[in-house]
Amino acid sequence: MKLPSLLQAMAICAAVLPAFAAGFDAEISGQAVKSIPIAVTGYTGEAAQVLKFDLEVLGFDVVPAAKAQFELKAGAGSEVQGTLIDTGNQHPLFARSYPGGSVRSQAHTLSDDVVKAVTGNAGIARTKIAYKSDLGGAKEVYVSDYDGANAFRATEDRSITASPAWVPGRLALLYTSYKGGKPDVYSHDLTTGARSRVFGFNGLNTSATVSPDGTRIAVILSKAGSPDLWVSKIDGTNLRQLTTTKESESSPCWSPDSKTICFVSNRDGKAALYTISAGGGEMRKLSTGGILNCTEPDWSPDGKWIAFTRAAGEFTLYVVPAGGGDATAITAGEDPSWARNSRTIVFTRGRDRARRLSLLDVPTRRVKDVNRISGSCSQPSWAR
Amino acid sequence: MNCLTKLGLIALLAVVAIGSGCSKKPKNITPIPNGYSGSAAPGSDLSQGGALRGGPGNSGRFTQPTDTAPRELGIDPSKAGGSNELPSGNLRDGKIEDRETFKGNTVYFEYDKSAIKSSELAKIAAVAEHLISRADASLAVEGHCDERGTEEYNRSLSERRALSIRERLVNLGVSADRVTTEAFGEDKPADLGHDDSAWSKNRRGEFILLVPPSLK
Repeated sequence: MKLPSLLQAMAICAAVLPAFAAGFDAEISGQAVKSIPIAVTGYTGEAAQVLKFDLEVLGFDVVPAAKAQFELKAGAGSEVQGTLIDTGNQHPLFARSYPGGSVRSQAHTLSDDVVKAVTGNAGIARTKIAYKSDLGGAKEVYVSDYDGANAFRATEDRSITASPAWVPGRLALLYTSYKGGKPDVYSHDLTTGARSRVFGFNGLNTSATVSPDGTRIAVILSKAGSPDLWVSKIDGTNLRQLTTTKESESSPCWSPDSKTICFVSNRDGKAALYTISAGGGEMRKLSTGGILNCTEPDWSPDGKWIAFTRAAGEFTLYVVPAGGGDATAITAGEDPSWARNSRTIVFTRGRDRARRLSLLDVPTRRVKDVNRISGSCSQPSWAR
Repeated sequence: MNCLTKLGLIALLAVVAIGSGCSKKPKNITPIPNGYSGSAAPGSDLSQGGALRGGPGNSGRFTQPTDTAPRELGIDPSKAGGSNELPSGNLRDGKIEDRETFKGNTVYFEYDKSAIKSSELAKIAAVAEHLISRADASLAVEGHCDERGTEEYNRSLSERRALSIRERLVNLGVSADRVTTEAFGEDKPADLGHDDSAWSKNRRGEFILLVPPSLK
């Protein structure tokens, strides 16, 4: 990105940080917005790398023992072991061994335990993401661990595959593929490899997302003559048209109770966020405090926040209370997807067909690239 | 034949088609909705000041060309002026893609807009005329965006662009059953650059003629 706009984005962040940080902190995590200093001692190789990455993503700073509030100490076993100590009183919080699986999965499990012990929240180190990459030329959907490890290509359509979305609680995706020459929506079971076309109407079929309760799909279809928001049962039947604007709708996402859909519409000229009851009704504009060109909303799993992308020359991630209000600029980037902890976001950074996935810890604003993925990557979706 | 003359001819032919189409209908059928009657003849909104309208006198005297049956003009009174619903069948079935015929007719758009610029109207009118003369062909309109929007937003915007072109074609007398749309968002740029020049070439609608194999 260009330097002036980067500085601009940083200035925006700095200006709004204090007020937002306090509110977010109090309501969301109960933790200090300052990162938590932790020493990680005795680990080598892959285990050391994984622990450092996981803990930094979740708002810790890995520091020397003398400056640490907590210390994680390795054990002597062949498998990953860990003893977590509160350096203030030298009390151990836990001492555990992690046999079985790979060193990566052992280390991820340990870092989840550290996060749980220190913050009280479930970790995300063993979750998965799906995304689009042009590695190898065609645009295909890939699935990997949240840190980019163990990536595999889920599609081989050799055309354009885009907009992957997880089916909640399952190793299954919905995505858009141009396999048939135009955008159609497919459902893909990653455990069996079976897939089926869910929406293949003439015109546009895209941006499908499954409700958190797993019973319905929100999707953008143009079969009625304009890109509108539709809802169906999970198998694609019982289609119902929710919007009838002349302008285009895009990017639906669900509230955690599966009752409301937030989406983008150009109804009033500029792209803005709207909400509508999943059962139908009036679409209502979501206030974003005067921020225009809002796209790509994603509702946090705890229901409190909506993250979105402001597209105005450059892309900037914002967070707004789910009921509307002042939107807060977080960092440069696009297409946010919340982890199940309602704290971490995976998003896309970079331009010019050299985009990469990054992880954002919202309370501390720390951003770390997902390093292990090559190709120009975008449209990440976090399994939850 | 210059472009304005073409538009006028399309408008006149369409008026004749409507006239003969209506006369076959039972009397209790609802008149053709607004946009296809009186001075609002197809194509009339393209004229600047009414010179091209198939107005009184003209439409009365004009005789139907012997080689052009009303049905082939592609106006379905039940659909005209009303719903913009896309056809249900696969228009590509049994057809071959011809990307050459309309290569010079690619329609360009303003940033973040799907409205047709006046500079692009003649390109669409020429496509309409070609289709009207060629009943065995169908058409796919591909919509595209530059890379400055977000991806799914662009996918919807590119579809909205293709649909705007399609609506114009239908208003010019092409049957809605013959035109489908294909949205590519920012995924198929015509120019791989990252500047205004490249972006202006990428905000576009392309016409793909779908013809029976024997006629290719």
